[in-house]
Amino acid sequence: MEHERMNITEYEHGSMRLFAARTGAKDLVTMQGSVLGGHYMLSRALDMVPRLASDVFDAGTKSRNKEAIRMALSARGASMHFSSGGDRTYFSATCLPEDVDFMAKLIAECLREALFPTAELSSQKKRTLAELEESKTKTRGLASNEFFRLIYDRSHVNYVDTLPEYIARTKKTERKDLLSYQKLLGKGGLVCAITGDIVPDVVLKKVERAFASLPGGTPVMTEKKQNTEKPRAKESEIAVPDKANIDVFMGAHVPLTYDSPEFLSFTVLTDMLGGRGLSGGHLMRTIRERDGLTYGIYASAVGFGGRADGALQVGATFSPATYQKAVEATEKEIRVFLDKGITESALQAKKGEMTGKYVVGLATSGGLAGKLHTIGVREKPLSYIDEYPSLIKALSVRDIRNAATLVPWDSFVVSAAGTFENKK
Amino acid sequence: MKAPVNVPGIAFTQKAGTIEEYRLTKNGMRILLAHDDSAPVAGAMVTYHVGSRNESIGYTGATHLLEHLMFKGAEKFHPKKGNSLDAVLESRGAVMNATTWLDRTNYYEVVPKDVLPLALEIEADRMRTAAFTEEDRESEMPVVRNEFERGENLPIEALDKAIWATAFIAHPYHHPTIGWRSDIEGVSIERLRQFYDDFYWPDNATLSIAGNFDTQNVLRLVKKFFGVYEKKPGAYPALYTEEPMQEGQRRVIVKRAGSPMLGMAHKIPDARHADIPALMVLATILYDDKTSRLYKAFVDKAYATGVSVFCNRFHDASLFQTYITLTPNMPHKKAEDILLKEYYAIAEKGVTAKELSAAKRSIRVSLSHRTDGPYALLSALNEELAAGDWTQFFTFPEAIAKVTTKDVQRVVRTYFKEDQSTVGWFIPTI
Repeated sequence: MEHERMNITEYEHGSMRLFAARTGAKDLVTMQGSVLGGHYMLSRALDMVPRLASDVFDAGTKSRNKEAIRMALSARGASMHFSSGGDRTYFSATCLPEDVDFMAKLIAECLREALFPTAELSSQKKRTLAELEESKTKTRGLASNEFFRLIYDRSHVNYVDTLPEYIARTKKTERKDLLSYQKLLGKGGLVCAITGDIVPDVVLKKVERAFASLPGGTPVMTEKKQNTEKPRAKESEIAVPDKANIDVFMGAHVPLTYDSPEFLSFTVLTDMLGGRGLSGGHLMRTIRERDGLTYGIYASAVGFGGRADGALQVGATFSPATYQKAVEATEKEIRVFLDKGITESALQAKKGEMTGKYVVGLATSGGLAGKLHTIGVREKPLSYIDEYPSLIKALSVRDIRNAATLVPWDSFVVSAAGTFENKK
Repeated sequence: MKAPVNVPGIAFTQKAGTIEEYRLTKNGMRILLAHDDSAPVAGAMVTYHVGSRNESIGYTGATHLLEHLMFKGAEKFHPKKGNSLDAVLESRGAVMNATTWLDRTNYYEVVPKDVLPLALEIEADRMRTAAFTEEDRESEMPVVRNEFERGENLPIEALDKAIWATAFIAHPYHHPTIGWRSDIEGVSIERLRQFYDDFYWPDNATLSIAGNFDTQNVLRLVKKFFGVYEKKPGAYPALYTEEPMQEGQRRVIVKRAGSPMLGMAHKIPDARHADIPALMVLATILYDDKTSRLYKAFVDKAYATGVSVFCNRFHDASLFQTYITLTPNMPHKKAEDILLKEYYAIAEKGVTAKELSAAKRSIRVSLSHRTDGPYALLSALNEELAAGDWTQFFTFPEAIAKVTTKDVQRVVRTYFKEDQSTVGWFIPTI
């Protein structure tokens, strides 16, 4: 399929969706993609496996050893990265235009025939364990993980276990676990966007050939169980010494998925409450600009990947000296927003902001590749890239207020990590 | 080559690569234009040639605090008039912000192309008529202090501040751009106003515009909005402080909750010096991908979770820095010895042609990112302007291409001397 306005070409073959677009970037190609297969498809005891595997996909395949892979990348000035999350295993790369074919073949080779040598896995486990130890003093991660523990029941995909549990699972992970996980990966649900200094038709043929070598993989996402339980607690404070700043997350589970009819309205509502920029969100205008209580306070729709029921999350940083005052002010301003903030003029300003920023965001190879990848993952037609602004413009105040009724504002929890003044 | 556009009151001065330079003849403001019509988007950035290097004791962080106050309104665009600059721009889709660093302060907007005139009008408005008050300082100071506090939560930021403060004792690179906490809290509105009046003038600024625009129209708008100002009457405050010669290794320890970390820094020359391209290649050879020397020496062996190497390109002589986040139980001393061994190996045996070639190709890819959208281009130009020569946007890649293995070995021998080094240890308290 050809998308003329933005010079985007889509190639659909079986379960694969490939997109390619030429941008203004010179001498640079960006690839972003993913295949189905991730920790949602494994038992909880094995949920560190995809993370560990992603770090050692390039540590040797049946065709070449670690040195050969890394030297081949290095000689081309190219970079390749794997990661995992939820239902998917992600890959990304940047390279010069002449190396796209090489990159696609190498990504396919790593996904298909990585060997995960025992010595490499052992070394990676040590690094991962060290990173998990580091996480014990990282206030943002601590507060965020606790937020998900507060609002989701333990069987929900968005529930986050504790650091000691992840440490124990990392220690127990074996090579055979990585090899089993690898069997999940293939053409199933493959989405890849290639943008930059390319000729789309030529590139798509090469990339399609490279990925055609993958096995079938996993055909569908996992079915998600809805969250039904009430928050475990209203507040949780994780004390970490020597910290000058407190990271805070507030919010609640929202019974929507990205396929819900109200989802778009919900994202606009979220942005009206806590959009980035000095004026784009009610909380930045009040808690930062008026009250001076934070450097940044933003609302986000989180945890909606893989058609899971996600959450509305307000994240902020507060000074220990004014922490309590800032939390109370935020709670108050959320109520003010609901009572008085969803107005016609506020919605019109937000529509202008979101549609304008959308155009700006598509002006880079990375921004365009990311958007195309999301369209592929969420099974939207390519035309959605043009439809999105008109869908936003069509929303009414009533739509936004309806979306607001779906958020359990009275069930908001507060999760914070840092050095609390009364608990040093 | 396309002829430069002729707009009365604006003089064409030079062209390098695809970028044209003009000057507003009335006030000397420099204008850089980089046209690219691949997307319906354009960006404007004003770089003021003032940064934390222009600060002194008592008002460290003033450049940055002033940057925040520059969003409080000016003559035409002001919250009290119901048209605050951020609301006006953001409601039309602008991605906008400002940043401050050692040698410069920049304000930018990336916008749908029809919004570019508004962005120019707003930047011109706040160039000389910013209307910040004591009330604004009172409300903004805690915001900036929280930004400072966020940084203090990070081991690398705490160690980095300590290393710069130890490596530089006289030159203002000694203090962090965010400033010392007591100065953030204590600097007066009068001092901030003085700072604004000292440095925010058209002849101390460069306006860069990139993306999809009509050159004739845009130059007319620049003249209309920025041409209302005169150049600064009188001289700019001179920075005459020179860093005295370092006479021995300096060491610093930070003890806090966090992860163990080693930092090592060596004095290097300013960004325009002929040795900087070789130092940049060296940084890439030391740590870029999984074939890099420090990746193999530390990460592959699980001695570290990560390594960062910075060849800074600043206006004045600065630092070449390596930071290593150690895995638990990895002694700092052992890590320091391994790092020095890697430096010495290059000093003694040099690097291979293969390493040099891969590093150059990696830098080529990295520099290609600068062409990916208006912001990337403006941001890269901004740093070249701060360093003192924007044409390095084009000449630096050429200089990189000319670096030899001998150059890399020579710069290690020249600059990686123990007496010119500063070593920092971040030691976790828990």
